[in-house]
Amino acid sequence: MMNYIWGGMLLLGISFAAIGNKLSDFTNGLMSSCTEAVEFIISLAGIMAVWSGLMKIAEVSGLINKISNLFKPVLHYLFPDVRNQQTIAMMIMSFVANIFGAGNSATVFSLKAMELLDKENLNHHNASNSMCMFVALSMSMIQLVPITVIKIRSDLGSISPEDIILPSILSGLISMIISVWVCKFYERKSSHV
Amino acid sequence: MSNILSIISILFLPFLITIILIYGIKTKTPIYDVFIEGARDGLKTCVDILPFIIGIFIAIEALTSSGAMSFIESTASPLFKLLHIPEELISLIFLRPVSGSGSLVVVENIMNQTGPDSFVGRAAAVMAGSCETVFYVLALYFGVTSVKKMRHAFAAGLIGYIAGVFASVYICKFI
Repeated sequence: MMNYIWGGMLLLGISFAAIGNKLSDFTNGLMSSCTEAVEFIISLAGIMAVWSGLMKIAEVSGLINKISNLFKPVLHYLFPDVRNQQTIAMMIMSFVANIFGAGNSATVFSLKAMELLDKENLNHHNASNSMCMFVALSMSMIQLVPITVIKIRSDLGSISPEDIILPSILSGLISMIISVWVCKFYERKSSHV
Repeated sequence: MSNILSIISILFLPFLITIILIYGIKTKTPIYDVFIEGARDGLKTCVDILPFIIGIFIAIEALTSSGAMSFIESTASPLFKLLHIPEELISLIFLRPVSGSGSLVVVENIMNQTGPDSFVGRAAAVMAGSCETVFYVLALYFGVTSVKKMRHAFAAGLIGYIAGVFASVYICKFI
């Protein structure tokens, strides 16, 4: 899947650049964007190290098991196949961090959760149901205070910058319900085959 | 209401760190040694995902700097008119799934032109606050796994995103 999407994006870009006589823009953009990618990782690396370290403490001390037991009933519906407590805890942490707007920390937890889900996945080349559900949930997870957007709004002189909080949560919930429904629909379909 | 929410958001991380440390000390975990060990793992993950990040970044840049993105936007605009989605939002709708930081610049431009409290300005803000960078997340998350076929993760993400776009626009119309 990714092979076609990625190749398609690049080839589409090259052909449009050739038609629109923008090939030098294209090349410059490509060169600067790979540097940006490295800079992004460098900016993420510190947070990644700190959270991985702290979560390791939580794991070794047994805190993670406690947290995951607390949330087990809810997550059992969404992830019936996941048994590993650490995986459950990582997923919870990722959702919670997302909700509280700690975007980069959420990314760290999500990537850890994906690594753990990958270990549990018996059919290595196909994503497991739990992986799909987790990705779908992370993508549509609501954020209590979308702080960046609110900041932009108040900078631009909005009368009440926070007015978007409730609509954002509502629309996020709708998107989340639909994503979960799509996942459940495919899960049922594939289990019948 | 919003004040309480932002206070909770600000307190969340310090609170979490305190709990982890206190629980670690209580259970006599060698917290510093374990922290270092975990931090090392975290840095390894960073190195592991770097190739994927570079891959996504150049593919997105290829679409935006070549003008392919603006072509797709103008081709799709009649469809959006039919669905009563303001045309100012089209570039945001297409850019959001691939680029978080890029789409924030677009949100700022939209709010600058139409005013932050206008319908279009609010819809743009809600979209940025509730719709995720679907393609970016897919590539990044599956990047750390050995999965070749992502199955219905793609459909769930995309359909969820489209639902979020419509919800943002229509909710802002009524609230």
